[in-house]
Amino acid sequence: MAEMEGLYASENEHSEHLMLDPLPRGQMNAMVMESMHTTTWKFWLVAAILGAVVLVCLFGSWGYLISEGMGVAGVNRPVYWGIFLVNTVFWIGISHAGTFVSALLRVFKAEFRRPFTRAAELMTTFGLAQAGLSIFMHMGRVWLFYWLAPYPNARGLWPNFHSPLSWDFLAINTYLLASTMYLFLPLIPDLAMARDRSNGWRKKLYRILAMGFRGTEGEWTHLRTAMNIFAFAILLVMFSVHTIVSWDFAAAMRPGWSSTIFGPYFVIGALQSGIAAVAMVLVVVRGTMKNMKYFIRAEVFDSLGKLMLIISMGWAYFFFNDYLVQWYNGDKFTDILFHFHESGPLGWMWLLMLVFNVLVPWLTLWNRKIRRNPVLIFTIGLLINIAMYIERYVIIPISLTINRMPFTWKSYIPGVEIWLTLGTFAFFILLYMMASKIIPLVPVWEVQEGQMAHSLVKVGKATVKSVSELE
Amino acid sequence: MNDTKTLLALFGDIDPAADAVEALHGFGIEDGDINVISGIPVTEPMLGRPHQWTNVPRLALGGALAGFFIGLFLSVGTPLLYPIHVGGQPIVPIPPSIIVIFEMTMLGMLVTTFLGVFLDSQFPSYKPKEYVPEISDGKIAVLFSCTKENEKKLMDMMVKLGAESVVPAEAQSL
Repeated sequence: MAEMEGLYASENEHSEHLMLDPLPRGQMNAMVMESMHTTTWKFWLVAAILGAVVLVCLFGSWGYLISEGMGVAGVNRPVYWGIFLVNTVFWIGISHAGTFVSALLRVFKAEFRRPFTRAAELMTTFGLAQAGLSIFMHMGRVWLFYWLAPYPNARGLWPNFHSPLSWDFLAINTYLLASTMYLFLPLIPDLAMARDRSNGWRKKLYRILAMGFRGTEGEWTHLRTAMNIFAFAILLVMFSVHTIVSWDFAAAMRPGWSSTIFGPYFVIGALQSGIAAVAMVLVVVRGTMKNMKYFIRAEVFDSLGKLMLIISMGWAYFFFNDYLVQWYNGDKFTDILFHFHESGPLGWMWLLMLVFNVLVPWLTLWNRKIRRNPVLIFTIGLLINIAMYIERYVIIPISLTINRMPFTWKSYIPGVEIWLTLGTFAFFILLYMMASKIIPLVPVWEVQEGQMAHSLVKVGKATVKSVSELE
Repeated sequence: MNDTKTLLALFGDIDPAADAVEALHGFGIEDGDINVISGIPVTEPMLGRPHQWTNVPRLALGGALAGFFIGLFLSVGTPLLYPIHVGGQPIVPIPPSIIVIFEMTMLGMLVTTFLGVFLDSQFPSYKPKEYVPEISDGKIAVLFSCTKENEKKLMDMMVKLGAESVVPAEAQSL
């Protein structure tokens, strides 16, 4: 394996396309297994620090919130939806990355997706877990969550399914279930591979999870058919989830929220943060996990960079649509709110959102060299995610400050929410780190299938990449 | 049926495996007595094999219908059973009902698609099966049943066609 590392240590030694640079399947399996098995003391140190942050900031602060009540949080009239909901929307946005990258690129047969679909799908599941936690934090008296369940009860309540919060509940849970199943299906063959190459507790675990998969024609047919159905159907669910989240806001008659374009604006925002987050995660995975330089090459960052640029343009388009129509309607309080956004005490946030979301990607991502540089693509991804977090902050607590009752206007100052936010970020990274040591992060069979389909053909005097339709 | 034997021929590539399947057909072994096991999805046309039947799309459709009716019950049935009268608002508003019905339809479809893979593949199944770990390393196994008197002949034929090994298939714990 040391030899292997030497072979793939330098980017210059790789050929451009993973699909045109096949290795024997056994060797690729060994590389992926080695990346899972190899852990250094640095990994455990980071995991321990994150674990401590999760324990103190997430569970400790949540316990404090539960014992002391919502008074220790900053939410109060008129800002009842604080960072809890900012986090919910942000994490649902991050969760869009996995589905978009995996399903949409699968539908359109974008070949560059193959080595990193699973890395992106994992983000969906763990992102949604953070979103779910944030909703429970927002509840305050979380032990009474079952009061929200719509069943005829002794309290004489009959919560109705036509409420936007019921749409939310159904959409988020459908998406969580669907994305977890969509993560698991293509994982089965790789779990079988891991089963065949493991001993001890790992063997037992993979044996249970692989469920007896061998790779018979029938098993592949059922799996492939299911994955095709999932790829199309889960896209609709993905679009519906963030649209429905946006309707939580848009269905309210509030200045800044009552906008018919909020649905697509939220979806494009989710993709903006999600794709940028995928790029960031891939840079970290490539830099910290063994053998990943073979699978995650500059071409991946190049393609993701182009996607980030296009989506940034889409975000700017929807932002301007939303802004212009609300600004033009002349509503007094919307006008005050927009001035508050731009030149209020937190006006710098609004400006930073536009700079990081529009200016930075547009000025940088047109450049091929920048797109192919992992450090730069990570930095741009980070700035975009900061901007997208700010965007949600502007939409929720800042916009709630201004309403149609000026005597209630009051700025939101977060309390325990800050620690809880830190906790969700740490928890997401910790879950991801732990999963990277148990789940094969690279779908080896998909990579090999892609490599089988690719070849170089001569067209006139040029040699070009060709992809065969295998299905 | 006691005079039948199951053999497992292991190939390094698709082409010799496809040739082997063709040769087995030529020898009179029917498709029902052949199975191909591989570490990547090798489609039936590549191997000259008949189309594999799958119930997954039908189950997905059934799940979608079930989800649709559950959604219909939640959004139309429950308000009629437990009406909340609000001035100027209908008991069953159509636009919000569409959202609930859509989500439940998709949920039903995706859950049954997922379960369909389990049902059709008979997962989970931990009993011993004919398998060799080399398959997940990229080898293609052609598994076929033959009579005992043809065993030697077919083993030689598989080796001639490029099989890396031909052994009596043994069910092993996965």
